[in-house]
Amino acid sequence: MTLNQTARPANEAPPEPPKRRPGHRLQHYGPAYLMLLPFAVLFAVFLIYPLARSLYYSLTDFNAIKPPVFVGLDNFTELLANDDRFHKAIWNTFKYVIGSVVLTMVLGLLLAVAFKSTSLRDRLLRTVFFLPSVSAGVGIVLVWKWIFMVDSWGLANTVVRFFGGDNRSWLAEPAMSIPILVTMAVWGGAGYAMVLFVAGINAIPDELYEQASIDGASKARQFWHITLPLLRPVLVFVFITSTIGAFQIFEPVYLLWRRSASIVGGPLDSALTIVPYLYDMGFNRFQLGYASAIAWILFAIIFLVTLVQLRVTKTFKEFDR
Amino acid sequence: MSVETISAAGTVTKRPKKINLGAELARLPLYLWAVVVLIPFWWMIIAAFKTVPELMKNPPTFFPRDPSLDSFYDPSAPAPGGTPNPDAVPGVFQRWPEVAGGFLRFTLNTFGVTVIVTVVSLLIASLAAYMLTKTNAPGRRTVFVVIISSMMIPWQVSLIPNYLLTSDLGMTDSYLGYIVPGLAKSFVVFFLVQYLRSIPDELVHAARVDGASEWRIWWQIVLPLLRPALAAMAIFVALGEWNNFLWPLIIIRDEDLFNLPIALSNLSNAIVSSPGSMGVAMAASMLATLPTVVFFFLFQKHFIKGIALSGIKA
Repeated sequence: MTLNQTARPANEAPPEPPKRRPGHRLQHYGPAYLMLLPFAVLFAVFLIYPLARSLYYSLTDFNAIKPPVFVGLDNFTELLANDDRFHKAIWNTFKYVIGSVVLTMVLGLLLAVAFKSTSLRDRLLRTVFFLPSVSAGVGIVLVWKWIFMVDSWGLANTVVRFFGGDNRSWLAEPAMSIPILVTMAVWGGAGYAMVLFVAGINAIPDELYEQASIDGASKARQFWHITLPLLRPVLVFVFITSTIGAFQIFEPVYLLWRRSASIVGGPLDSALTIVPYLYDMGFNRFQLGYASAIAWILFAIIFLVTLVQLRVTKTFKEFDR
Repeated sequence: MSVETISAAGTVTKRPKKINLGAELARLPLYLWAVVVLIPFWWMIIAAFKTVPELMKNPPTFFPRDPSLDSFYDPSAPAPGGTPNPDAVPGVFQRWPEVAGGFLRFTLNTFGVTVIVTVVSLLIASLAAYMLTKTNAPGRRTVFVVIISSMMIPWQVSLIPNYLLTSDLGMTDSYLGYIVPGLAKSFVVFFLVQYLRSIPDELVHAARVDGASEWRIWWQIVLPLLRPALAAMAIFVALGEWNNFLWPLIIIRDEDLFNLPIALSNLSNAIVSSPGSMGVAMAASMLATLPTVVFFFLFQKHFIKGIALSGIKA
């Protein structure tokens, strides 16, 4: 079975029914539409309709008790021009996204190149590296919380002392917030990227490397001129999907720094990212209109960043030629 | 680029090769990373079996000196209504005394919801994917474009309206409100459509000529053909549902309906007030994480294939 025959369109439709009566069409396609119906209804009710409603709320002042009051673009201008907390959230999110995506990809690629074979050692190590992506969840976030305990018996502090440093209060120090989040993301995501890269690398025909070896190209040159260009589609895929995922970070932020239900964002908001801020505005303060506007700005940011990424990676492609 | 070439590429590395000392040295930091990857798991497991005094020992122990099951069930902890014992920390299975079954109930909730969401969302998505690729019903292209476009929008955008809608329908604090809004998964339809397109239409045509109904073709021909794609998607959907947090956090207040992530987050609050409960939190984390790891080892091949497939299909 081939893996990449995706571009082939669904041609060869069944023969058109003879068009006699108007009702005939529906009768003919009835089963087809009926098959689409369950998905279509749920999709319309819980996705399309909420999107429309969200767009409307984003233009209103709405606190869930009184009916929404239309305020035009006020929420957006307030968020973009005046809301310092939101600016902090965006800035933090970008720091986190760049740190986690770059490190995840670099480490994932290194792991893939180093352990791509089918030998027992490589398969075993790949399983180990992949394990965190399987177990990602609230449980693992709690483990990290325990590792970064302020007390001297926390694991992070024990390690730091082993290397001659002093105890730190990890989760209470603003400068540590983003590095901690990035560490967790790389720990959880590098193995996943590795699996995608291994599949991509092993799909590159061996003849290319053999030919290059005969021509006297070094391993480094082979990596640079064969592996990287041919891996480009997978690199772009991982780059874009991991960026989109990183922008939506919520659970670690919410769980690591929570002291009471209504405090989100860590010391001095140093861990406040966009989705936790949305949650805070929407479900702690019940400013649902404002929170909806945040959601749409998140969409706009992800959309623009994806466009830029596609653009940049395309430029690289032309550069290769 | 076929599966065959992948395995062929794999065999190449089996050629006898000289051990390259430089390459092994370069790998050294990566071996270290393997250790780093395993440490949080190890730290979680040993903490679950440590006693409260050992949990707070400085420097910490890397093997439980006096392994105990107290974090799971502490016999010296008071029964509900019994005399309080300030020295005992109630274990995982003794928390939430007002919920029948306690932690076990949350595990069953999570398991049940995961199974239902996975099965139903895959069934309706495969129906939709079949309709979109193997029939020529008018309008199917428009529908597909709408589905793809919706994937661009982060799901948090629909979070607030969905919360309001669910509460308007009176479905907060119910399994219905927990399950139904998440059943239509666009990325599953997208993935299945991509996969179905690589399957020749002739099979479906032949069945139609033989007079099979669309439903029968879907059930007897298309679903079996889709099996690898369905397995890949089932893994994604099931893992996502097992770890689902934000939606139940918003929609569920009734402790009877808690899933594991919500119960764990609940425990993490208890930790802040009493660090001695950390062992209990780690025991609960272990119990919640273990099934995903077992699941992974059972279906490892499908996992890896599914992920590779998702990268190549996209």
